[in-house]
Amino acid sequence: MEFDIPNSMMTINEAPLKQRLSITSFKDDYSSGISDIEARLMHLGFIHGATIEIKKKAPFFKEPLLVEVRGRLVALSRSEANLVSVEVCE
Amino acid sequence: MNLQVALVGMPNVGKTALFNKLTGSFQRVANFPGVTVEKKTGWVIEDGKKILEIIDLPGIYSLDATTLDEKVTKDFLLKKEKEQTANLFVLVLDATNLDKSLYLALQLRQLGYPLLIALNLMDEAKKRGLKVDIEKLANLLNAEVIPTSAATGEGIKELTDSIKKRTHSLPIYNIELPNEMQKTFRSPEYVNRTFKQIDEILKEVTLSPLRPDTFSQKIDHFILHPIWGIIILFLVLIIMFQTLFSWSSPLSDLIEFVFSYSGELISKYISHPLLKSFLVDGVINGVGGVLVFLPQIVILFLFTQFLEDLGYLGRAAFIMDSFMRKMGLPGKAVIPLLSSHACAIPGIMSTRVIENYRERLITMLVIPLTTCSARLPVYAVLIGAIIPDSPVFGLGFLRLPGLVLFGLYGLGFFSAMMMSLILKKSLPHSSPSMLLMELPPYRVPKLKNLLLVMKNKGQIFLKKAGGIILIISIIIWMLVTFPQQNGQTSIEFSYAASIGRTFEPLFKPLGFDWRITTALIPSIGAREVVVSALSLVLSADEQNMSAALVEQFGLGTLVALLVWFVFAPQCISTFAVMKRETNGYLWPSVMVAYTMILAYTFAFVARSLVTLWF
Repeated sequence: MEFDIPNSMMTINEAPLKQRLSITSFKDDYSSGISDIEARLMHLGFIHGATIEIKKKAPFFKEPLLVEVRGRLVALSRSEANLVSVEVCE
Repeated sequence: MNLQVALVGMPNVGKTALFNKLTGSFQRVANFPGVTVEKKTGWVIEDGKKILEIIDLPGIYSLDATTLDEKVTKDFLLKKEKEQTANLFVLVLDATNLDKSLYLALQLRQLGYPLLIALNLMDEAKKRGLKVDIEKLANLLNAEVIPTSAATGEGIKELTDSIKKRTHSLPIYNIELPNEMQKTFRSPEYVNRTFKQIDEILKEVTLSPLRPDTFSQKIDHFILHPIWGIIILFLVLIIMFQTLFSWSSPLSDLIEFVFSYSGELISKYISHPLLKSFLVDGVINGVGGVLVFLPQIVILFLFTQFLEDLGYLGRAAFIMDSFMRKMGLPGKAVIPLLSSHACAIPGIMSTRVIENYRERLITMLVIPLTTCSARLPVYAVLIGAIIPDSPVFGLGFLRLPGLVLFGLYGLGFFSAMMMSLILKKSLPHSSPSMLLMELPPYRVPKLKNLLLVMKNKGQIFLKKAGGIILIISIIIWMLVTFPQQNGQTSIEFSYAASIGRTFEPLFKPLGFDWRITTALIPSIGAREVVVSALSLVLSADEQNMSAALVEQFGLGTLVALLVWFVFAPQCISTFAVMKRETNGYLWPSVMVAYTMILAYTFAFVARSLVTLWF
C-alpha cells in the first residue's frame, strides 16, 4: 500500500497542541512490514482517519507527548510520535 | 478436580482487583516458566476446599503481542500441544472504556474461545452516567456478560456461580493461531475493520453515554503542569525516600534487637563454645540478616503499589522519561534507582515496573553502584580516618567530611549513569524500547490490594532469596571460625585468613595486605561487617579504629579502600535477588565481575594519585 505525502502533512511532533488532528498515515511505508511499535500504535487506535488531540508536552525537553486517542490518554516518545502523520481538522 | 480459570484483559481494566476479590488472600505468586513475568495464581475456597484455580494473566492489548508480558499471555492463550491451558477464560472488560476493551473481545471471539465476560468497573461507569444494554452486548459478542465491580462487590457472586456452572463439563481448550492470522492481526486493514466493528457495537449497546472524566482532567492539570508537576514529583520522591529510611529503621532495629537478644539467651544456656558460636554467629545472625531487609521491601512496595493503583506511577514516568533517557534509562527507572540509595534489594525487586526486559536488566545492573545505606558505617570509619574535620571555605557549618560523603554519593550515582549508557550501547537488542503507554484514570487505591502486594513480595523474597543468603552466611561463619587453635577461634588462623593471604599478591597494587583481604571476606555477607572484621584483624577497638587504620595502612591504602567500597560488588543478598529477578546466575555474575573490575581499577588509580601527591 502506498500513500501520497503532501507537504501540508506533518508528524504528531510538529502538530499544534490542543487542536483536533486527523491521522493521515504512518510515516513509513508498509512494504518493509510493520514494526512492534507501529503495531502497538495501531492497537491503541492510531489508525488512518482517527481523530486525536495533543493534550500536553512533558515538562523536561518537551517530550514525551500526551495524546488523546479514542477516549484514552497515551504517552508517546518523540520517535514514536514521528511515525504518525496528521493534519489539522477543519 | 483441578479446574483452571484464567483472567484475560487489557492493562488497567481492574483485572487484578477483580482477581483479589475472587480469590481473597488465597494466592501464590511465581514466575511463568523461563521468564521473569509474574504469574499470580489464586483459589476460590468453598467449605474449606479449593474448588477453582484462578490465574491472573498479564494485561494484553492485542493477540498481536509486542511486549514480553503480552507474549506470555498470548502463549498461555494459544498453548502448544500437550501443555495444559485453562478450562475457561474470563475476559475482563473496562466499562469506563468499552471502546478499548472490545478490541481484545473481538479477537478472542474470532478465534472461538468459550468466553465469559466480566464487565468490570461498573460502579465507576454508572456514576459517570453510562447505561449499557447488557443483553445486546452479550448477543453481539456471543458470550455471557456479567456486570462486576471489584470495589463494591457487585456481580462477584454471579461471576463465581457462572464459572462453576461452566467448568463442570468443559474440555481443555487448545486453540492454535494459524500463521496467516498472525499476519492479519498486524495489517492496517484488519485493525481498521475491527475498530469499525467496535464503533458499530458501541452504537447499538450504549443506551446512555459516559460523561467525560473531568476529575482526572482537573488533577492532570496540576500533576502534569510544567512547574507544579515537577514540584509534586520531587515531593513524592522525597517522601518515598524519607519513608523508606525512617519508617523502616525502627522495624529493622527491632528485628536486629530480637535476634541479638535471642543470641544472648542462647549464649546463656549453651556452654559449648563452638555450638554456641554456630547458633549465635552462624544461624541467628544469618536469619536476622535475611529478615532485616523485609521492612524496606514491604514499605517500598506499599509505596509503589499505592502510586500505581492511584494512577500516578505512569505519570511520574511520563514526566521523567526524557530526562532519564538521556542517562540511558527509561522514565520508570526513577523509583528503583532512587530507592536503591536506601537498599538495593527492594530497588532491584521494584524494577518489574519496567516492561522492556533489556531496560529492566540495565537498571538492575547499575543499581549496585548507587550508595546503599549499608555503606554508610564503612564510609564513616574510613572518612574519620583520612579526612580532617575542618571547615570548608571558612564556613563553620560546611565541613570537609560531610563534603566528601556527599561526593561519594555523587560518584556512585554518576558511575551508575555512565554504566547505563555503556550497557545501553553494548547489550544486544531483544525487543524495541518503547514508551508508548496508556495513562490510566485516577482511582482510589484499595488497602486490601496494597496489603496483598506487600505480603506477596515479602514471601517471594524470603522463599527465593532467603535460602541462598542463609547458606552463604553460614559458609562465611565457617570460614572465619575454622580451623580452631587449641579450641579457640582466631580470625588470623582461619580459612578466611588463608584465602586472604592467597589473594594478597593480587591486591598488592592497591596496598591491601592479607588483613584487609581477609576482612573483605565477611563483608560479602553484609557490607558493614568489614568494620568489625577490620577491628578483629587489627586487634583494635572500634573507637580507636581510625587511628589504628592510619597507623597500619597509611593514607594511600585507605583512600583505595574507600574507593573500593564505592564500586565493589554488593552483598550476597543483592546477588540472590538478582538471581531471582533475572532467572539465572549469568547476570548476577556479570554484575559481580564488572563491579570488581571497576573497584580494582579506580582503587588503583586513587592510590597512585594519592602516593604521587602526598
